[in-house]
Amino acid sequence: MRILAFFSRPIAAVAALALFAVWPLSLVGSACAADARSDYRVGDRLSPSKSVTSPEAVYKETPWDALVPKDWDPQQAFKGLDLRTLKDSDPRAMEALQRLRESWDNAPVEQSLRGQRIRIAGFMVPLEKKGDEVSEFLLVPYFGACIHVPPPPANQIIHVILAKPLKGLQSMDAVWVSGALAIARSDSPWGASGYRMQGELVTPYSKR
Amino acid sequence: MTPLTPLLLLAVRSAWNRRLTLGMTLLAVALSVTLLLGVERVRHEARNSFAQSVAGTDLVVGARSSPVQLMLYAVFRIGEATHNIHWQSYRAIAENPAVAWSIPLSLGDSHHGFPVIGTSSAYFEHFRYGDAQALAFSAGKPFAEIFDAVLGAEVAARLGYRPGDQLVLSHGMGDVSLAEHTDKPFTVVGILAATGTPVDRSVHVSLEAIQAIHLDWQGGAPLPGLSIPAEYVRKFDLTPKEITAVLVGLKSRAAVFKVQRDLNTRSAEPLLAVLPGVALDQLWQVVGIAERTLLAVSAMVVAVGLAGLVAVVLAGLSERRRELAILRSVGARPSEIFVLLTAEGLFVTVLGALLGVALLALLTALLGPLVQAHYGLAIRARWISSDELALLGAVIAVGLVASLLPGYRAYRISLADGLTPRL
Amino acid sequence: MPLETVIEIENLRFRWSQGNGFCLDIPAFEVRAGERIFLYGPSGSGKSTLLGLLGGVLVPELGRIRLLGSELTRLKPSARDRFRADHVGFVFQQFNLIPYLSVVDNVLLSCRFSARRRERAMAAGGSLHDEAARLLAHLDLEVALYRQGVTSLSVGQQQRVAAARALIGRPEIVIADEPTSALDAERQEAFLALLAGECLAAGSTLLFVSHDRRLAAGFDRELSLASISPACGEGKAA
Repeated sequence: MRILAFFSRPIAAVAALALFAVWPLSLVGSACAADARSDYRVGDRLSPSKSVTSPEAVYKETPWDALVPKDWDPQQAFKGLDLRTLKDSDPRAMEALQRLRESWDNAPVEQSLRGQRIRIAGFMVPLEKKGDEVSEFLLVPYFGACIHVPPPPANQIIHVILAKPLKGLQSMDAVWVSGALAIARSDSPWGASGYRMQGELVTPYSKR
Repeated sequence: MTPLTPLLLLAVRSAWNRRLTLGMTLLAVALSVTLLLGVERVRHEARNSFAQSVAGTDLVVGARSSPVQLMLYAVFRIGEATHNIHWQSYRAIAENPAVAWSIPLSLGDSHHGFPVIGTSSAYFEHFRYGDAQALAFSAGKPFAEIFDAVLGAEVAARLGYRPGDQLVLSHGMGDVSLAEHTDKPFTVVGILAATGTPVDRSVHVSLEAIQAIHLDWQGGAPLPGLSIPAEYVRKFDLTPKEITAVLVGLKSRAAVFKVQRDLNTRSAEPLLAVLPGVALDQLWQVVGIAERTLLAVSAMVVAVGLAGLVAVVLAGLSERRRELAILRSVGARPSEIFVLLTAEGLFVTVLGALLGVALLALLTALLGPLVQAHYGLAIRARWISSDELALLGAVIAVGLVASLLPGYRAYRISLADGLTPRL
Repeated sequence: MPLETVIEIENLRFRWSQGNGFCLDIPAFEVRAGERIFLYGPSGSGKSTLLGLLGGVLVPELGRIRLLGSELTRLKPSARDRFRADHVGFVFQQFNLIPYLSVVDNVLLSCRFSARRRERAMAAGGSLHDEAARLLAHLDLEVALYRQGVTSLSVGQQQRVAAARALIGRPEIVIADEPTSALDAERQEAFLALLAGECLAAGSTLLFVSHDRRLAAGFDRELSLASISPACGEGKAA
C-alpha cells in the first residue's frame, strides 16, 4: 500500500496517465527490434560462434569454406592472366570475369557432406512465405547477396526447406540454421547440383 | 480474509447500479478495443492476402521499375506498369535452360473496373497460390478460341456471368472507360473457383486476343475509318509484340540468383527480375512504418478510453462514502474496499474488451465483403488469433493498473472515515 | 451468577492529532451482558469517536478496550475488523443500506463478512434466507418488500431493515447510533420497542446512543458521555 501512496499526489497521477499514453510505443519498439539487420553492411560475413561445440552435439558447426571441395579453385578463370599487363577495358579481363561467373554458377559440391547434420550461420533470402511465416529460403554467406553484389558460387548457397514455417524472419536476416544437408541433383543441362537442407532449427544470429 | 467471490459479486452489482455513466465509458473502451484489434487484423490479413497471392514462383520479370511496383501490378493487379517488355525477351526467358516454366502476362485493359490479364495456357497449368494450390475451375474450361475469356470468381459473382455470356473489354484501367472494344466481344468459357487472391478479380483472355483488339487501335484510340471486324482478325499475325510481365519457375531454386543476375544485366532490353519474397519484404518495410504508427495511435486511444473510465469511477467515489462506511461497519477491511473498487474498474474493462471483440466480428462480417470487392483484400471472419489475444491481455492489464487508482483512493477514504464519514 | 462484562474500557485517551487536547478521556466504563444502555451525547461530544473506538476502526493513544474479554487494542487492524464483523452489529442514523442490493441482500450483508454470524443465522433459521425473513417479519416488514430495491422504502422501513442486519446471526453487541433521529415522533417509540425486543430475544447487549433524552425510558441504565468522559465536552471530534 505504501507504493500506492505515491499515487495520491496529483503529479504522480498525471505521470501514471502519461505512462498509459506512452506504453503503445513499446509495441513500436518491439517491432523495431527486427531492424537489427541494419547492423550489417554489404559483403559482411558472419563470424563463427565463440562457444566451442561439444563433441556430442547433434549438429556440427560448419564454416562456409567447408562447403567448397578442396580441389576447386574459385579464381581458376584468372589463371594465366597477369592483370598487371592488361590495359584498361581489355576484353580479356571481361572474358575472364565472364568465365569466372560461369564457373561459379557451376561450382561443384562437396560430396562428403551428403547427409551430414550441420549448423551454419548465414543470411536468408525468402523463397516461399505463408502470411508472416517463411517456409523456404536460400542461405548465403554474406550480406547483400542478390541485391547489391554478384551472387555467391553455387556451392555457397543452401536451399533450406523448413519443417515448420517460422514467423518474424525478413530478407537478409542473419540466422543459425541446423539440419541435415542433402545434395540435390538438378536436371539442367550443365549438370550442376546444389545443397539442400531440411531445416530443423532456426535461431537468430547475435553478434557476441 | 473474506473469499473473493462475494466481493466480486458486490462489485458487479455496484457497477450495474451505475450502468448509465459506466455504460458510456464501457462503450468508449469497447470502441477503442475494436479499433486496436481492427488495425492489427487488417495488417495481418493484408500481409496474408498478399503472401497468398503467389506461390512457387521464383522470379517476376518486367520492365525496369521498382521491385515493389513490379510486384504490385504483375501479381496484385494494383496500379499500372510503366511500360512493357518485348516479346523477344519473353522468348529468351522461356528458352533459358534453367527455366522450368514461364507465364507471360499482358495488362492494361479492364472490364467494369476489373483488370484484364492477357496470358497463355501456361497460366492455368503452372500458376500456384496459397499453399502451392493450383487454379481450379468452378465452371467451364480454359480458353481455346481467340475471343474466349475465363473469369475470376469475384468477377463472375459480382457481374452475374455464366459460361456462354458475352462481355466487352474497356481500354485502360478506369472504372468508367470511354474507349471500349465493342466491336470485339468476348465469350465467357470458364469461371475459376475462388482463391482469395487477386485472381478472383481478374478477367483472363489470351495474348492473341489482346493483340487482336488493339489491331485497329494505334496510339491508344481507334483510328477513324479503320475498323477490322472480329472475323478477320485471324488473318493478321496475332503474335504479341509486347507483354507486361513474366512469372518464372526454375528447375533449381538455388539457381535463382544466377538467372536473376542474367536477366538484370545481360538482356537486350532493360529488365527487372525480382524474387517475390524479397520484394514483398521491401514492401512491408515501407508500409511497416505506417502500420506501427497506426497501432501506436490505436493503443493511445485505448489509453484515453481507460483514463475516462478511471475518471468516472473516481468521480463517483465522493457520493459513496456512506456506502463504504456501511461496508466497514459490517466488517469489511480497508483492503477489501480496495479490492471492491479495483474490481469494478476491472469488470468494466473486461466487459469493454469483450464488447470490442464482438463489435469487431460484426464489422468484419458487414464490411469484409465490401473490402474484398474493391481492393481484393480478403479479411476473413475468424476466431481471435494469439496476437490479438496478447493485445487484449495488454488492454486488460493496463485497465487493471488504471483501476488501482480509484481502488487506492477508496482505501484511503475508508481508512480516514471509519464508521462515520463526514458527508 | 454475575453476568460477564461485554464492554470494558480502562483509562482510555484519544485525540485526533498531537497538537490538540484529548477529546476522549474515559477512566472506566463497563457494560454487562444483556444490558440495555442509553448513552446521552449531544453532537460533537465525541460519541462518533467512541463508536469508532468500540468498533475497532480507531485506536486509542492510551488505555485499553476489551470486548467480550478480547483486548481490541492488542489486535491487528484486520483482526479488529473481523472481530467487529463477528460480534458487533451497527445501526446508524440514516442511509444505512447499500443502494444496489435488495432488502434481503442488505440484511445478509453481515453474514457475507462473518462466517460465525452466517453459521449462527443458519442454525437459527435453517437457511440464511429464512432467518432474514424471520427477522424482517418480527420487525413488521411485509414479505412483498424483500426482493425490492431499498430506495423505494420509507425511512422507517429502511431503519428496520438496518436493525435486521445488525441482529442477524445474533451478535453479542448491538450499537445503535441515533437510529430514530430521522423518524417521525410516532414511529420512534415503535422502533425502539422492536429493537429492544429483538435484542432481548437474541441475548444481545444494546448500546443506544442518542441526544434525545426522552427515549431513555425503558433502558436499564442511562448515562451521559460527559459523565464517562469528563475531560471532553467542548471541541469537535476533529
